Amino acid sequence: MTGHARRDDIFRLSLKGLRRDLRASDVRALFVALALAVAASTMIGFFLDRLDRGLTRQASQLMGGDIKLEQDEPFDAELRRQLEQAGLTLADQVDLVSMASHGDAFQLASLKVVGDAYPLYGQVHVDQGQGVVQVPNGPARGKVWIAPRLAQLLNVSIGQEIQVGQVSLAVSGLIEREPDQSAGFGSFNPRLMMHVDDLDATDLIRPGSRVEFELLAKGSPEAVESVQGLLSRLQAEGIEVEDVREDRPQLGSALERAEKYLSLAGLAAVLLAGVAVAMATRRYVDRHLDTAALLRCFGASQRQLARLFALQLLWLALASATVGALLGLAGQAGLLALLMQFLPMELPPPGWLPLLMGVLTAVAVLIGFAGPTLLRLKQVSALKVLRRELDPLPASAWLVIGVASLVFGGLLWLYSGDLQLSLGLLAGGLVALVVLWGLGWLLLGGVLRLAGRWSNGQGGGAQALRLGARQLARRRQASLGQLLAFAVTFAAMAIITLVRGDLLTTWQAQLPQDTPNYFAINIQPAERDGFIDILDDAVDSRSALYPMVRGRITAINGQPPRDVVPEEHRGDNSLRRELNLTWQEDIPEGNRIVAGEWFGPEAGVGYAGGAQTVPISMESGLAGRLGMGLGDTLTFAIGSQNVTGEIMSLRDLDWDSFRPNFFVVFPPGVLERFGHSYITAFHLDRESGGQVLGELVSAYPGVSLINVEAILGRVRELLSQVTRAVEFVLAFVLLAGVSVLYAALTASHSLRTHESGLLRVFGAGDRLISRVQGVEFALLGFTSGLMGALLAELAAAGVYVGWLDLVPRIHWMMWLVLPLGGALLIGVIGHALSRGVRRQTPMASLGLLGEA
Amino acid sequence: MSDSHARENTPILHARGLGKQVDSGERRLDILTGLDLDVFPGESVAILGSSGAGKSTLLGLLAGLDTPTSGELMLFGKSLSSLDEDGRAQLRAGHVGFVFQNFQLLPTLTALENVLLPLELTPGKDHQARGRDWLERVGLGERLGHLPKQLSGGEQQRVAVARAFVTEPALVFADEPTGNLDRTTGRKVIDLLFALNREAGTTLVLVTHDHHLARRCQRCLQLDGGRLVELDRDEVEA
Repeated sequence: MTGHARRDDIFRLSLKGLRRDLRASDVRALFVALALAVAASTMIGFFLDRLDRGLTRQASQLMGGDIKLEQDEPFDAELRRQLEQAGLTLADQVDLVSMASHGDAFQLASLKVVGDAYPLYGQVHVDQGQGVVQVPNGPARGKVWIAPRLAQLLNVSIGQEIQVGQVSLAVSGLIEREPDQSAGFGSFNPRLMMHVDDLDATDLIRPGSRVEFELLAKGSPEAVESVQGLLSRLQAEGIEVEDVREDRPQLGSALERAEKYLSLAGLAAVLLAGVAVAMATRRYVDRHLDTAALLRCFGASQRQLARLFALQLLWLALASATVGALLGLAGQAGLLALLMQFLPMELPPPGWLPLLMGVLTAVAVLIGFAGPTLLRLKQVSALKVLRRELDPLPASAWLVIGVASLVFGGLLWLYSGDLQLSLGLLAGGLVALVVLWGLGWLLLGGVLRLAGRWSNGQGGGAQALRLGARQLARRRQASLGQLLAFAVTFAAMAIITLVRGDLLTTWQAQLPQDTPNYFAINIQPAERDGFIDILDDAVDSRSALYPMVRGRITAINGQPPRDVVPEEHRGDNSLRRELNLTWQEDIPEGNRIVAGEWFGPEAGVGYAGGAQTVPISMESGLAGRLGMGLGDTLTFAIGSQNVTGEIMSLRDLDWDSFRPNFFVVFPPGVLERFGHSYITAFHLDRESGGQVLGELVSAYPGVSLINVEAILGRVRELLSQVTRAVEFVLAFVLLAGVSVLYAALTASHSLRTHESGLLRVFGAGDRLISRVQGVEFALLGFTSGLMGALLAELAAAGVYVGWLDLVPRIHWMMWLVLPLGGALLIGVIGHALSRGVRRQTPMASLGLLGEA
Repeated sequence: MSDSHARENTPILHARGLGKQVDSGERRLDILTGLDLDVFPGESVAILGSSGAGKSTLLGLLAGLDTPTSGELMLFGKSLSSLDEDGRAQLRAGHVGFVFQNFQLLPTLTALENVLLPLELTPGKDHQARGRDWLERVGLGERLGHLPKQLSGGEQQRVAVARAFVTEPALVFADEPTGNLDRTTGRKVIDLLFALNREAGTTLVLVTHDHHLARRCQRCLQLDGGRLVELDRDEVEA
């Protein structure tokens, strides 16, 4: 007498069973679907994880270090010792503005005095006479590196000497790009970089001179964390402290949207794969009911069966997760290669977390989308071997959908980290599903009725249409399931495609061909008209001319700013530096009022100074940081006077627009009495531009012209790289969609085999059967396409408004493309996949049903 | 009474007053009523009956695949009514073989893998060799790797026969084993079934409507009106 099956026997049997099962198309479909889900989620997970860590590093580079301390006197040795003890590498830097001269030419320059440790991150792009090279250091003692514009203004070239304060230094390089180029347009004077050892000799540091001493520190996150207490103390003492983890510049809106898009696409791929898994599982279970019944006959217990199939599927999940993770790893490398140019070069290696998430995704998708259906296997009665009709009841559709939704909601939460968003999407999705179920029922009925009406003729086409529609109608429940699966698939594919298209359009609109590539600042009132005359003759587009007055915020609602501003924003730049203020009659171009009302053109008329307040308009982001709203007042020190404004409106503006932007706008009639200059931005062709520039520089030597072509180029490049990344991910989603089609068609394979066998027995020819199947699939595809279009339109609108901050619109083309494309796609794929069915003899196809 | 005599007289299968009712719409249908049966080790028993007489229902009950509505049933000396479904399955494991009318081979498994299926539920090392051996004994030693669809009906049923005997069971149930085969092929399969049964000393319970087939068993029982009537083998019309 042989004993009962032991644990390890089941273990062995499950492995063996899976190996054998790989011959079955449904198991292959399950494998492909799971692998795709894991590949998509790990690819995007790996990528976003590396990108995030890489961006932090890039931010460190832009800031010059992981921590930046700033004050107006040198840092003492004790502080240095403490920071170095914590494991941080330090670099000194001194910033000041001073005159530089060469012969008769004088020019204000923005001095950056660096030590031997400079730069802590990245490299300086500098031309030392043999073209631009990247070097990991600053200029040596006795040398200076200067901006090409300064060289032009001073008429000096490499090898010649310039005077800085009391010392004469040799120009040894022209700076193309600094790694820590974060100053933006704040520093209008051209750069001059020199060694810290030469600073004393210049004799520029005197009591009262405006100098910023900076101490930059680089170190591991742990080291940075360990000095947090010290940093807070320093902050309380009035030292400005920047920490890269808190003060990391936000991603540009384009990259931020791309990140969101990637997450969305990853989830769409997981959802599609889930649908494919659900469909493949039905066929898997149907096929294994016989195995289960036989094993029951041979003496297997319910528990053993449950363990056997659970283990078998676990192996499947692990195997497909491994393949998927490898694919994901390769995919993220591809994604990275596409985006390499604008990412910091040394991106940290892929972490383990995304891999774990991938395996978790596979197991979760399997449990969620296949679990309830699999329970049928356990319930099989051994008697089924004698009486075929004794199949256990199919799992309730609502149970299947309910469990799948829960699991998918969990994954949504896991990936987005946003419970509310996940719940909202889930609830919306379920409501949509109920509506779709009803709608699908009606739609299918309608299409079938139409098909019936059109197929009254006697021709072969009409006959095929009639028979195909009837086959579809006979299996209305099963057809409805497929219809929903296809509709969701088409919708997911369509949303990802639509969103991509609209993202690209938005991005392109953001930076049109004539986006300004030059800024002109410091245009004096007397120079204004003449400057504009030269400019308008030569350029295709320019922004309005904005007057500019500099003022410092001295009070908020009559109180010192430090007392009123929320604690985390007390170090905000706007409170430490002078702000550029302007006046305008109308809302500046590209600005949108988000609260309050724009003041009228007369609002500032009659302003007499003193305690009188005038209406002002403030940028909403700054207002938020300073904790201000409509009705609050701001007092600015301009020159020796104070001007108080009351916020009448809040504005949103696009900082990526390459136009002059202002935090605070006054009405005309208030700021004119102060010293002011003008600023404008314009677009100049690269070819014809040189001559105009020369003309402007010689006619108005005091006006600073800033070329932002390089920055513009980098932003454009970023957009085109992101576009390619988005397309790459789209391809993955489309693949996942095809896996659904494959799984669905596999699921209905045996039924179709039987039907075509019967049709042939009753005398139908190859041609007719082929047509009938084609028609059936095409009708299914057409109806799914219609429903998919509806679903996609609704979902896209939701995603645009709620997530990507784009304006929704109706996509008419989709309503044409999805139904027709669906009919064609499902028709052709389905028809091709059932070729094997048609080739079988009726004996074989009918016999197969008996054994399966 | 000697010990050996007592063992011979202990039935492997013992049924008393076995009844099975099914609900058919509003009516209750008595398929089996007060049925008695004893099958002793090494016997071959044919259960005859016309279509719809309840032969398959009876087989399901005897093999513990289904539960009776009334009566008592003992398999290998154990009362089936005291066991739940899993307990009955455990009782079958390795001790009962089956041959079905529709073969019940799994389409994605090769001939050898189909034969190995019942063995895989039990521990043991020489499974492969045993499977090969049994396939050779049914004349399919050259077709080990073939899938069911690559085999003829007769060949498929021979695979099923090999599968029924591979665990060396004490009891084999056969449900219309020739029902799906032509006469010549059917006869060959039956010759094989009886030959193996003799060699292995297995007890065979065969359900059929084919009198030819029934006459080859040691005992013939007719299922009629829900009860079994023992027939003299000579009474069974050819």
